[in-house]
Amino acid sequence: MPGISRWRRASRRLVPVLAAGGLLAAAACTTGDGAEPGGDGGPVRVSVWAWYPEFAGVVEAFNASHTDVQVDWTNVGTGPDQYAKLKTAFEAGTGAPDVAMVEFQQIPTFVVLDALADMGQYGANEDEHLYAEWAWSQATDGDAVHAIPVDGGPMALMYRKDLFEQHQIPVPTTWAEYAEAAVKIKAADPNAYVASFGSDGGWINGLMWQAGCRPYGYSPAEGRERVTIALTGPECRKVFDLHGDLVQRGLMAQDPFFTADATAALDSGKYWTWAAAGWTPGYVAGSLTRTAGRWAVAPMPQWTAGGDEQGDWGGSTFTVTKQAKNPGAATTVARELFGTSEAAWDVGLNKAFLHPLVTDVAADPAFIGKSHDFFGGQKVNEIFVPVSEKLGDFQFTPFQDFVFGELNDRSAEAMAGERPWSTVLEETQKNVVAHAEQQGFTVTQ
Amino acid sequence: MTRALPIAPPEPSGRAPRRSSRRATAHPLAGALFVLPFFLVVVAFLVVPLGFAFWLSLSSKSLARGTRFSGVDNYVRAFTDPLLLDGVVRVVLFGVVQIPIMLGVALAGALAIDAVGTRFARVYRLVAFTPYAVPAVLGALMWGFLYSRTFGVFADVPVLFGGQPVDFFSSSLLLVSLGNIVTWAWTGYNTIVLYSALQGVPRETCEAAVIDGASPVQIALRVKVPAIRRAVSLAAIFSVIGTVQFFTEPYVMARFAPQISAGYTPNLYAYNQAFAYSNFHYSAAISFTLGFVVFVVAHVFVVVSRRRGAAS
Repeated sequence: MPGISRWRRASRRLVPVLAAGGLLAAAACTTGDGAEPGGDGGPVRVSVWAWYPEFAGVVEAFNASHTDVQVDWTNVGTGPDQYAKLKTAFEAGTGAPDVAMVEFQQIPTFVVLDALADMGQYGANEDEHLYAEWAWSQATDGDAVHAIPVDGGPMALMYRKDLFEQHQIPVPTTWAEYAEAAVKIKAADPNAYVASFGSDGGWINGLMWQAGCRPYGYSPAEGRERVTIALTGPECRKVFDLHGDLVQRGLMAQDPFFTADATAALDSGKYWTWAAAGWTPGYVAGSLTRTAGRWAVAPMPQWTAGGDEQGDWGGSTFTVTKQAKNPGAATTVARELFGTSEAAWDVGLNKAFLHPLVTDVAADPAFIGKSHDFFGGQKVNEIFVPVSEKLGDFQFTPFQDFVFGELNDRSAEAMAGERPWSTVLEETQKNVVAHAEQQGFTVTQ
Repeated sequence: MTRALPIAPPEPSGRAPRRSSRRATAHPLAGALFVLPFFLVVVAFLVVPLGFAFWLSLSSKSLARGTRFSGVDNYVRAFTDPLLLDGVVRVVLFGVVQIPIMLGVALAGALAIDAVGTRFARVYRLVAFTPYAVPAVLGALMWGFLYSRTFGVFADVPVLFGGQPVDFFSSSLLLVSLGNIVTWAWTGYNTIVLYSALQGVPRETCEAAVIDGASPVQIALRVKVPAIRRAVSLAAIFSVIGTVQFFTEPYVMARFAPQISAGYTPNLYAYNQAFAYSNFHYSAAISFTLGFVVFVVAHVFVVVSRRRGAAS
């Protein structure tokens, strides 16, 4: 359901036991006072909402390197919790921060709510060359800059190297081989699964992206009321056909990601693979202590042998809200909190384990060549970085919460045996189109 | 009971003394000042928000085309929205099963500790009340772990007898799992409410029943239960209202159970409409519709239980 299962962005690093604390902490939020021009010569203060792990160090680095602008940071909750507060503030017309962390798939949602300032007016277009092309294209619309990219989630396949070697199962390079591996894994250990179908809209969206499925189209610059929804094409369908088939045959488990059950299953040999994202090394290194060192990363299985199609799961940006009192200063903050700041990326890469979308940072030999103990010393960024470079154009809808909610709810029905897997995308398409038309959009199918 | 009680509790006089009522109207300003704080709070936190929500519900905001006045459109949509109606049917089904079980156990517990009245009863009261003191979010999270197949203690119970582990989050068991959490949290609370009401039953009535030869069970069922009928009705009404507003447990459990969809309960649907889909206007209409349903259900319940009370 929306609002809950999609909170992976930071919870990915939290053991869910901590979720209780998170909820309580989220309840005790405060609202920043917003930017105030430094009347008596003091610095402009810019309020920021973000939930990046280890973000305090990034704020410190910014405040230490700037004298005219200072950041007041608040963590008002993770993902949907923060979005709920943002949407309320935009509806109310007051209470939003100057700068807010927003995930890529949410940018059009806030654009259509008329919530984001155009940073292009404050010189943000100068930064285009800094960022991965796909990320910049998702964050902008023509000359309008809605967001400044920070981190991404290029996808690759995590697998239990020791178990694959022990049972002489070849690491799958295509999805057909993946399905064969699933059968062999079941034969080797009846309690094991190739992976779990995690009920996560962002994850399944990443798999669809990787399959060449481009289900959404939206550009407010070209037509604020026009949206394209095409979820039933063969590229999208094959993702659900394959995974639905694996679930139905009992080869794929059904635990939602980022629950204690799923984490324990990863750490106990119950799951042998996970189609994961660039931020995963940071997430898993902390939680999977028993199997640390036994995992490895391989490029995503391809739909056609020898192909090189890639996808992304997650990633986030900084946006400047329309309620910002000093949008120019807020744009500076959004651009420079990470941007080219070495101190910030030191925290971002080495403590928060973000996958940088600043191409120079990602191309840094120190980043690419970093070996991860969790993956038995493998230099996993040698796989993740080219994936991020390869990612092409992908757009989202201005009501992505609804789409992900539908994908999750309809998939849940299929998992429960209440709906054939083959109808998940049709039903989602039907409901999403109805929702879009209800919201006044002209839909191209 | 077939015979009139030999000793009846003194009937409170229906008429209040004249003098005091005249004195109350003698200082209208003082009276108004006493009422003012409460009045302000009610206006600020109940009347104004309700009015605002109602005003919101009369217009529609579409993402693409902005806000327009739409009259009762949102209500027409609410009453014909299959997702909302599914949720309503689900909570009604839930309440029909869960409320009688919870109140039955609570009543039995209250009668038992009222009859025993020893130190054991005092301990039992405290223990029974404890789950109510646990915040609902924490309670739901805790049960989420207890239901877990990896960490929980219950899922593997059938395995001991050669069966399959239970999946408490499967669509067939989900309502039962949720019902168990609610029953766990609220039975103790209702036990205490009913126990307090039992304290008000005159001891003389029970003594008379003993003299008449009634067994303890007969006293419990035929003297005490009829005497606290109104407390039971009140507990039932609160439970019905709570059930229609069912939110916290499914909201928290959704992270363990993908089967909990966006419209699993009406309140969850209203929440998602507002805070996930930015559809505040429709959410307000759903909330008002729900409020109306609660009002009707509670009112019908009161009327029916009064009639039945008067008839017996």
